[in-house]
Amino acid sequence: MPENNELRIGVYTCYCGGNISDVVDCERVAKTLIEFPNVVVSRTDMSMCSDAGQSMIEADIREKGINRVVIGACAPSLHEQTFRGTVTRAGLNPYLYHHVGLREQDSWVHHCDCEGATCKAMRLMLAGVAKARHLDPLEPIRLAAEKHALVIGGGVAGLRSALDIARRGLNVTLIEKSPFLGGRMAQLETLFPTGEDARTGLHGLIQKVIQHPKITLFTQAQLVKMAGYVGDYQVTIEQQSRGVHVEIAEAALTANLPEVPDEFNYGLTRRKIIYRAYPGCYPSTPAVDWKNYNGEPLVINGQPTVLYNEPKTFDLTVGAIVVATGFKPYEPRQGEYGYGEIPEVVTLPQLIRHLALLGDGKPLTWNDHPVRDVALIHCVGSREIEGVHPPHEDGEVNNYCSRVCCTATLHMANELHERFPHLNLYDLYEDIRTYGHGHEQYYRDALENTTRFLRFHGDDRPEVVAAEPGDTHPVLVRINDHLTWGEAMEVPVDLVVLAVGFMPRDVSDLIKLLKISAGTDRFLLERHPKLQPVETAVPGVVLAGTAQGPMTVQESCAAASAAAAKVSSLLGQGQVELEPFVAKVDLEKCDGTGTCMEVCQYEDAIHLETVLIAGQEVRRAVVTPANCSGCGGCVSACPNRAIDVQGWTLTQYEAMIDAFALEPAELVEVMA
Amino acid sequence: MATIPEAQRPKILILATLSGGYAGADSVGQLHTDYPTNTYILPVICPCMFPEEFYLRTFEQGIDGILVMYSGTDSPYRGGPERAAKLINQTYPLMKARGLDTRRLKLTAICTVCTKPFLKEVQQMEALLEGIGYAKAEIAAYAGKENMAN
Ligand SMILES: Cc1cc2nc3c(=O)[nH]c(=O)nc-3n(C[C@H](O)[C@H](O)[C@H](O)COP(=O)(O)OP(=O)(O)OC[C@H]3O[C@@H](n4cnc5c(N)ncnc54)[C@H](O)[C@@H]3O)c2cc1C
Repeated sequence: MPENNELRIGVYTCYCGGNISDVVDCERVAKTLIEFPNVVVSRTDMSMCSDAGQSMIEADIREKGINRVVIGACAPSLHEQTFRGTVTRAGLNPYLYHHVGLREQDSWVHHCDCEGATCKAMRLMLAGVAKARHLDPLEPIRLAAEKHALVIGGGVAGLRSALDIARRGLNVTLIEKSPFLGGRMAQLETLFPTGEDARTGLHGLIQKVIQHPKITLFTQAQLVKMAGYVGDYQVTIEQQSRGVHVEIAEAALTANLPEVPDEFNYGLTRRKIIYRAYPGCYPSTPAVDWKNYNGEPLVINGQPTVLYNEPKTFDLTVGAIVVATGFKPYEPRQGEYGYGEIPEVVTLPQLIRHLALLGDGKPLTWNDHPVRDVALIHCVGSREIEGVHPPHEDGEVNNYCSRVCCTATLHMANELHERFPHLNLYDLYEDIRTYGHGHEQYYRDALENTTRFLRFHGDDRPEVVAAEPGDTHPVLVRINDHLTWGEAMEVPVDLVVLAVGFMPRDVSDLIKLLKISAGTDRFLLERHPKLQPVETAVPGVVLAGTAQGPMTVQESCAAASAAAAKVSSLLGQGQVELEPFVAKVDLEKCDGTGTCMEVCQYEDAIHLETVLIAGQEVRRAVVTPANCSGCGGCVSACPNRAIDVQGWTLTQYEAMIDAFALEPAELVEVMA
Repeated sequence: MATIPEAQRPKILILATLSGGYAGADSVGQLHTDYPTNTYILPVICPCMFPEEFYLRTFEQGIDGILVMYSGTDSPYRGGPERAAKLINQTYPLMKARGLDTRRLKLTAICTVCTKPFLKEVQQMEALLEGIGYAKAEIAAYAGKENMAN
């Protein structure tokens, strides 16, 4: 057993079943490493992550008193957790182990230079040893957690998340900004790829949510304040008044009231300012559209009635927050493909609503004119090219693919063909991206049902113009068709349908409140798409559904269930455990200038406190671990090197750099 | 004492963020694409933690080029990218004062799947260092000139 805190380092170089050892001479690496100070054992194994490999490490810790472990293997993202478990089982603090990536960053990228790769492996492992010499035992940050989650957004993703969390025994508060649940899915009719009725599926889900005893629901409600940290977020919710009492609900709906464009039908129809979004919506009590109500008395049941909005606020403590605020369909600019100027140019969401309003068995008409020829144009407001497409209001172009619209457009083409077999359909596309399971069938069906496909290039998109008087059709679509080597074509049609993409909703208020980030595409950003999907950089704040980017209903639900699983595993024990990689102040070195506080971007992460040092009252910086992101901004700001990120200290970095740069003999001297 | 019989050539340190360049480097590995062995990658949470002296010390110890591969505007850390860029900008005059070519230090945005940009950055730094040589030699030559002048 080690005496006097003697450092006893175990170094383990993995063959990775040949993935590393086919290029790197692991035995030479092991032999070289054993010559460095404090390295007590240096071993190799065919597969360090196997039971045998792990048992070997555990035995060394127990029997040889190894108290620092360096393992060179595949990427840390794959097995760091595995080996933390290994050392913990042997009684060592899990943070006294360091992982070196020898596969993705050495053997797999230097297969033409085995000698160079072997020398590099020695350097990388040496750097691991150098860091291990400065490792300290760390404890995960443990915080009491409120077994209660807040879900923001009552679309399909928010509903799914809320239900999944509640089914795991946690309390859920679901807040929806609008007066009705369901989000965009309520505006759809049949869904690809299953063909099921959108609202039937949605209503089934809503029923389960409203009947669940652990879910409390607030519509017309928004988050207005947030403080605290994971496990213990104090949130303030503001809820607008419904404005209409159940008893006068029906009379209010039939009263003669001012009307405004109905957003549920994308402005195709008008609705009253006391309204239900659609038949069968939940809650069924009508709501007042406060934005459009001017405060004048309204005559309801023969009585002049003034309606009052008296917003209520209430506070809650929640352990985690699911952000499921959804998306909005792209609204084309005035004149883009004739939109807003030529009445026969509509968006795909508008056409979906138009067909729903039309009802079964009636011929397709637009503005009371029969429709015979329809052009569907893909990628409107998606895959835009900088320099080719004018930027939007925020100065950006939508260079991302909205993914869902290709299949949604083909689904529409097939539905049009099925309902109105005599229609001539033209599908103008850049690429067909029917990426999901069962989506390609929609393309095949469209090909079979005589939809004519014409292909444009992203920088040479079709042009839509109003027809000349006397023309057979009201609109002319011009396209250079790249399926026929760029032949210029003119397609006269009665209706142009723009397959608009997904846009992020403006949730800048939430971004500020929750301290989360948006990506370059302006959708909310997850921490890492593969390693920490649906998590944000803020512990306990997770994303669900299209708030994060374009998704189908299926994908939105999968993301929502993933978010729910994260929340449940985080709060399920009533205690949260976080990585200890947060800033820590050395009170001896700190002189209380507060420079660290000035640069810190995280509220309440660092503050100054009066502490007693050598009998004297002095001001010192103190970190609140739960509020610290571990970014290290404070580290570079401190003039005294009095603050460091635990597990990632400047001293550790310097030691690793020395291991890369210095000759072995010099390094031994430095280590000594 | 152990020796490491590596070829003598300038060394490149890559400081790569876990949410960007480090995962990007792993993606390059998964493609089995080749790049030179004189490259040493260290994972970082956010490069806003490195003060100017850190870079200077790194050159003085014998690293010849530093690529800071951060996550740019996609960084999950508030203000982190801006601060990292500011610190690196502030390092340039200090490098000049030591006679160091400022092109030895470069901040570049690399995402988790930016395999081509990763390789391009490495190749460009490699080509640069082939031309301008070792940092230590540059520092020594400059110090020598200064001494002569005094
Ligand atoms: C034209 C078109 C056709 C489509 N067809 C299909 C299809 O056939 N099959 C398919 O699988 N998918 C289809 N989709 C995709 C589908 O609509 C989405 O996947 C789904 O609606 C996403 O649900 P969501 O909950 O993520 O977002 P949303 O439905 O947008 O719900 C978000 C909810 O959050 C609320 N909210 C927003 N901000 C706040 C706030 N600050 N506080 C509280 N609440 C807030 C909103 O009011 C809304 O109710 C289609 C999409 C379009 C545009």
